[in-house]
Amino acid sequence: MFPSEVKSASLLTVCLLIVFLLLPSVTCAQFHPKDTEWPSYAADLAGTRYRPLDQINASNFNELEIAWRIKTDNFGDRPEYKLEGTPLMVNGVLYTTAGSRRAVIALDPETGELLWIHGEREGKRGGAAPRQLSGRGLAYWSDGKEERILYVTPGFRLICLDAKTGMRIPSFGRDGAVDLKLNDDQDIFPDLETGEIGIQSAPVVAKDTVIIGAAFREGMTPRSMRNNKGYVRGFDVRTGKRLWIFHTIPKKGEFGYDTWEKGSAEYTGNTGVWTQITVDEQLGLVYLPVESPTSDFYGGHRPGNNLFGETLVCVDLKTGQRKWHFQLVHHPLWDMDISSAPILADITVDGRLIKAVAQPSKQGFLYVFDRVTGKPIWPIPERPVEVGDVPGEWYSPTQPIPTKPPAYSRNGVSIDDLIDFTPLLRERAKEIAEKYHLGPVYTPPTVSKLERPLGTLTLGTASGGTNWPGGSYDPETHVAYLYACNSCIEPIGLVLSPKEISDLDYIAGTAGKEVEILRGPGENAGADSQPPPKKRPRSQWVPLNIDGLPLVKPPYGTITAINLDKGEFVWQVAHGETPDVVRNSDLLQGLTIPRTGQETYNVGTLVTKSLVIAGEAQVTTTADHPRGAMLRAYDKATGKEVGAVYMPGPQSGSPMTYVVHGKQYIVVAVSGGPYSGEYIAYTLPSEGE
Amino acid sequence: MRQALLIAALSAMVSAFGSLSAQAPAESRSVWDGVYTEEQAKRGEPIYQKECASCHGDMLTGGESAPPLTGGAFQANWNGLTLGDLFDRIRKTMPQRAPGRLTRQQNADVLAFLLSVNKFPAGKAELYRQSEMLKEIRFETKKPATKN
Repeated sequence: MFPSEVKSASLLTVCLLIVFLLLPSVTCAQFHPKDTEWPSYAADLAGTRYRPLDQINASNFNELEIAWRIKTDNFGDRPEYKLEGTPLMVNGVLYTTAGSRRAVIALDPETGELLWIHGEREGKRGGAAPRQLSGRGLAYWSDGKEERILYVTPGFRLICLDAKTGMRIPSFGRDGAVDLKLNDDQDIFPDLETGEIGIQSAPVVAKDTVIIGAAFREGMTPRSMRNNKGYVRGFDVRTGKRLWIFHTIPKKGEFGYDTWEKGSAEYTGNTGVWTQITVDEQLGLVYLPVESPTSDFYGGHRPGNNLFGETLVCVDLKTGQRKWHFQLVHHPLWDMDISSAPILADITVDGRLIKAVAQPSKQGFLYVFDRVTGKPIWPIPERPVEVGDVPGEWYSPTQPIPTKPPAYSRNGVSIDDLIDFTPLLRERAKEIAEKYHLGPVYTPPTVSKLERPLGTLTLGTASGGTNWPGGSYDPETHVAYLYACNSCIEPIGLVLSPKEISDLDYIAGTAGKEVEILRGPGENAGADSQPPPKKRPRSQWVPLNIDGLPLVKPPYGTITAINLDKGEFVWQVAHGETPDVVRNSDLLQGLTIPRTGQETYNVGTLVTKSLVIAGEAQVTTTADHPRGAMLRAYDKATGKEVGAVYMPGPQSGSPMTYVVHGKQYIVVAVSGGPYSGEYIAYTLPSEGE
Repeated sequence: MRQALLIAALSAMVSAFGSLSAQAPAESRSVWDGVYTEEQAKRGEPIYQKECASCHGDMLTGGESAPPLTGGAFQANWNGLTLGDLFDRIRKTMPQRAPGRLTRQQNADVLAFLLSVNKFPAGKAELYRQSEMLKEIRFETKKPATKN
């Protein structure tokens, strides 16, 4: 007994020292996250982005002032203009990733003072990574004694740090690191240094298991139908030992292998989980939102439905064994990756209590299931869809289309969707649209022809609806809040692929334009990136606007509140100031145009006791504010805007909130255009000021 | 001693005023004042196509990996800043995989091409190659009413 008492006493002394000297709110109690903290990427493992805090509310939101700020320029060998992180705040310390090195930093949450920094120099491996820059964040774990921070480097290594010092924990993996390119039930090709696989999302830790997915380059113009596969793995948070793996493309003999005809499961890759993973710790279930298989827009080399591509898969937290699945899109052809965290919601439908999971999507459907059984809460029948005529393509004749809630953003294009401020503008828009094939959701891509169609004009595909920031959910009122791009138009045309570009028969392109490999966000942009090759193919991008005005009519971007007990909208608002190009357009002089919202795909929301908070991802200059963007607050019950605070650049990462020493803070990542990455913390002025 | 100090202070003030008047700003200029030449924009185009187009698109309309360099969102980003700010963004951070690789002249030529695509008028003199001088030229989205 004596030694253990001594040990306890020493531990107590150490803790007291820390309490009084360094980190005032550290405690030695068993780790139980508090409502005043933000312990994981989406606030909790349920993906809610919700905290029941109300010090910052409708009456004072406009009074917010900057408490502290930190530029991320020096956390890497070049500044970053795409800072997407959401910090964590636990036990009185704020942790986040930052800069082109994807450094991990620990800050004082009241002052922004840098407590420690950790970075990994990965050389060529980091420079060749498919997903570079600072990523979306990290994970925190504690058993009440130890505190650990986990993150994945651009070069795809899982690093485990001591949360107090930022030093690697030597007993985890090999000297604090697990090489994620190894022990993956596949040989990553062509080699460990350049083999295409990585991830930019934050790891998830649930009951001592770290869960990691995988991401790849953009899949519109892959060089090959063959690629590495995006399996999902669970690791022991104490040792780094692999506990389980889930094959997102089934191996021979596994369920779903026969949905890959002609043996295409053997060589097709991607199909990773690149966005946030959600966990129900009580049920011991993990919800995996899976992306598209290799080649976003052409599936001729992977005939069949292609499980588990674009499928919500529920697996066991301890074993990784599949419990249920629901494929949102059969034989994916539209880049409708499941792009955001599933949201866990305990709801009451027709008087029945249901543990549900709600999945936002690019296609603007909110899919709601019983999260124990996988059964849809409201029917999702198979509906006939158009079958295309691209040579060699395989088509699913039906797709599952939810009956409730209604689609919360556009997912098809018709003439009626086109700009209609004036009859002349509508006519000009029709001239452009008529060069394309139009249709409702799941209208298939076409071969691009000079004589027309140039392709299929789509909404609710690659950048539509809800993307990586995901939605928010209020567990008290059972209302989900979803930002959506309602105007992110995507022309999808296919061209014969030159053999020196790709071994696929068709890749994305436009007739008459040189074919090029399209690069993904952050690819070749991070620290240690190599110089580009000399020969540069040209882009196939075709502007789809009228003298700068969007081709479709407003609202360009929306926030929708959906009551999950009823499957009905509570409200919907246009989010974001009317863009300068619309407000100042000579073509619209004399017209009164209500706020349009903005054509952006990456807006994240935060829900508090009374507010929905979201920034703008586009910059404007108005009579009310200089060039900048606004962080806006809405009454969550009505959608009425109740306040706005100025940001010097666009919101580029989703906001989070916490309380320290009785004061509430909101932290948001800001970057883009001329503005390099910066985390800004807002709080209310002190009393008496 | 006090008198000497006073004289020194007075001469310092005179000299300060002198230098101030010598640096009195010329007429304030913006991108609407013909701040580059057509020739320079033509020189910039092949550099742009070689160094920038694979990410930003051959028509500057952007792509998955990089924002547009023309159109509403781009112009809104830079409205109210200066060409010096835009020049430095290019000079210090582009091309993304090898920042700082282009010469000042190449960067200025690319900037001239960018201005031409954005339909800002050409003039008779080429763009400066120094960011400090380019900071004197405002990036204004809206054409001033007095300009033709």
